[in-house]
Amino acid sequence: MTRFDHDDSDVVVVVGSGAGGGTLANELCRRGFKTVVLEAGPHLTGADYHNDEWKAFDQMAWTDPRTATGSWGIARDFPTLPAWIVKAVGGTSTHWAGACPRFKAHELTARSTYGDLDGANLLDWPITLSELEPYYDRAEIKMGVSHRHGRPPLPANNNYKVFANGAEKVGYRDYATGPYATNAEPYDGRPATVQDGFNFQGDKHGSKWSTLVAELPKAEATGLLDLRPESHVVQILHDSTGRATGVLYVDRDGSLRRQRAAVVCVAGNSIESARLLLLSASAGFPDGLANSSGQVGRNYMRHTTATVWGQFDKPVRMYRGETMAGVIADESRLDTDRGFVGGYYMETIALGPAFFAKFVAPGSWGPSLTEIVDGYLNTAGMWIVGEDMPQETNRVTLSGGTVDAHGLPVANVHFDDHANDVAMRSHAQRQGAAVYNAVGATRVVETPPYPSTHNLGTCRMSRRPGDGVVDRFGRAHDVPNLFVSDGSVFTTGAAANPTLTIVALAIRQAEYIATEYRTGSS
Amino acid sequence: MRTLMSDGQRRTLVDLLRAAFPHRTFPLGPYERTAGAVADAAAADPRLHALLLQGLSDLDEQRDVAFSQLDGETAGVVLRELTGTPFLTAVLDVAIVALYDDHEVWDVLGYEGASYDKGGYVDRGFDDLDWLPDPRIESQEAPA
Ligand SMILES: Cc1cc2nc3c(=O)[nH]c(=O)nc-3n(C[C@H](O)[C@H](O)[C@H](O)COP(=O)(O)OP(=O)(O)OC[C@H]3O[C@@H](n4cnc5c(N)ncnc54)[C@H](O)[C@@H]3O)c2cc1C
Repeated sequence: MTRFDHDDSDVVVVVGSGAGGGTLANELCRRGFKTVVLEAGPHLTGADYHNDEWKAFDQMAWTDPRTATGSWGIARDFPTLPAWIVKAVGGTSTHWAGACPRFKAHELTARSTYGDLDGANLLDWPITLSELEPYYDRAEIKMGVSHRHGRPPLPANNNYKVFANGAEKVGYRDYATGPYATNAEPYDGRPATVQDGFNFQGDKHGSKWSTLVAELPKAEATGLLDLRPESHVVQILHDSTGRATGVLYVDRDGSLRRQRAAVVCVAGNSIESARLLLLSASAGFPDGLANSSGQVGRNYMRHTTATVWGQFDKPVRMYRGETMAGVIADESRLDTDRGFVGGYYMETIALGPAFFAKFVAPGSWGPSLTEIVDGYLNTAGMWIVGEDMPQETNRVTLSGGTVDAHGLPVANVHFDDHANDVAMRSHAQRQGAAVYNAVGATRVVETPPYPSTHNLGTCRMSRRPGDGVVDRFGRAHDVPNLFVSDGSVFTTGAAANPTLTIVALAIRQAEYIATEYRTGSS
Repeated sequence: MRTLMSDGQRRTLVDLLRAAFPHRTFPLGPYERTAGAVADAAAADPRLHALLLQGLSDLDEQRDVAFSQLDGETAGVVLRELTGTPFLTAVLDVAIVALYDDHEVWDVLGYEGASYDKGGYVDRGFDDLDWLPDPRIESQEAPA
């Protein structure tokens, strides 16, 4: 195992080992950079994972305190759990499902396409789709995304059969079992899925792409990766010229360590990335590091989501097989005649009874809950994921009183739905119900959003430094050797699940860092 | 760990859980184990412990007879009246997790639990739904 010296100021430090950080680390190692990955969570592998919803959640989810405010249901139903994020090596790429749509061209120019929406802080991305496309290709090949570059589609599972038949009946055309980053046949040294149905709990088999099984082992093989689990970064340090010089972190023994660095890349997943910049305030950066725009933590997005369940008079057994290997893309089109801007995808989803009962109707009990749960076996499920509007007041801040085990103020996540989000959600719920009713549902159940699995926008990209936090390569406008390498750089959220885009941007960022910084010097 | 609940209160708690989560198909065992989970949580949490002791004794005061003597419908009405009280909220919070995590409940609902050690469902029916035709799995649109 490679170890670099704490005082080695030639290394690149990457904070977080998830989809963004783990990919960036591999791409940097391949290009000859000495890379130190500091990961707050433990190094667990497939053998450690549990085929059990609560056990897996308790083992891997970020359960350090957070707080939630605002009019969203989450602040009422899950006030200490605004987001579902993993704290372990591999980050949330260990719990993700694998749905991999790309952004559409107009989604990168949301401000120009949708116009000036009241209350929305829309902005065009400083990148176009054609600039991104080569990186999408490389990300899809890296991740073995089904339906792309010759990778075969996943077969239809039970949940998909209901979903796709309903889709066909209501006239949808653009439905399939992917794109989905899990192997239908062996690929890249990893086996084909055994359809065990456990995705959100970590894939014991390793058929699903994650940085744990794909990126980090490759980075390790270069001899240039120094991966340090249970290392929680608490501050980014800088010098009098405003350049980052390294980070302070708490190691597994609770000792504070300093790692010097030539370049610092932050990929803690939007809530923690913004928190870390805010915690890194100094005399030179009184409002938080890289925050001269005041935009750090703002424009927090989480996608407009909902779940629709159809219950039937015959068994479905939705829990068997790949959880999200089913996508209807028809509603992701550009069509502002539906009463809202932006589009959405419908994707299959399955939960076990433990999570189903807890999340299907938050706070509910009595017959209104038990009648739904009694239909579990005959239930099919779909998740809605659509573009939500960035708003300046939807925001990650440091929570005044609440601190974590290290005494650091935790993140407060404030969120109010935009009227556009509400209109989209109700359209999507109607369409979802229509899909299931078309194949004979006896009951349709609408579930409100879960704690956020997609967390975006808190350090957004902008052409002008006053409009955002980072430039078109994810480099902080204010700090030349500080990068943000996760979904917090999203200028707007698009309808697509974010991970493919996070990975594509990380590849692109590594390439940029390699052209800007010679190996071993800055 | 033990609580200060009497045996009678423990039975009242089981009846409360049956009224709060009325499944005709569930045997008694899962409700009893869920009551155990509530008791364990209370034993480790003085606030919950206090809420539980006072709440269970208050529950018996809601009608002329003890809570456990009420018919199912009346028991449900009594619980509705307690909606939002710290006592009921705290008990239900623990119970909803414990009850639906019970493997006997999974059996009744038709859920098979862990599957990786059995080779997943690739050869065990991940696609055995036969009451609808097999749909296509590739889009008719050109990929993005
Ligand atoms: C149940 C579930 C299903 C999902 N399904 C999909 C899907 O189908 N498609 C899709 O595109 N996306 C999906 N996602 C979202 C996907 O997981 C995320 O988009 C992706 O993992 C984000 O990558 P990231 O690098 O930003 O953060 P993460 O992958 O969360 O990694 C961040 C890492 O940083 C670490 N960290 C944070 N702060 C610090 C610190 N201060 N010091 C050190 N380390 C730190 C964390 O512990 C974590 O390991 C899903 C998410 C969940 C929860």
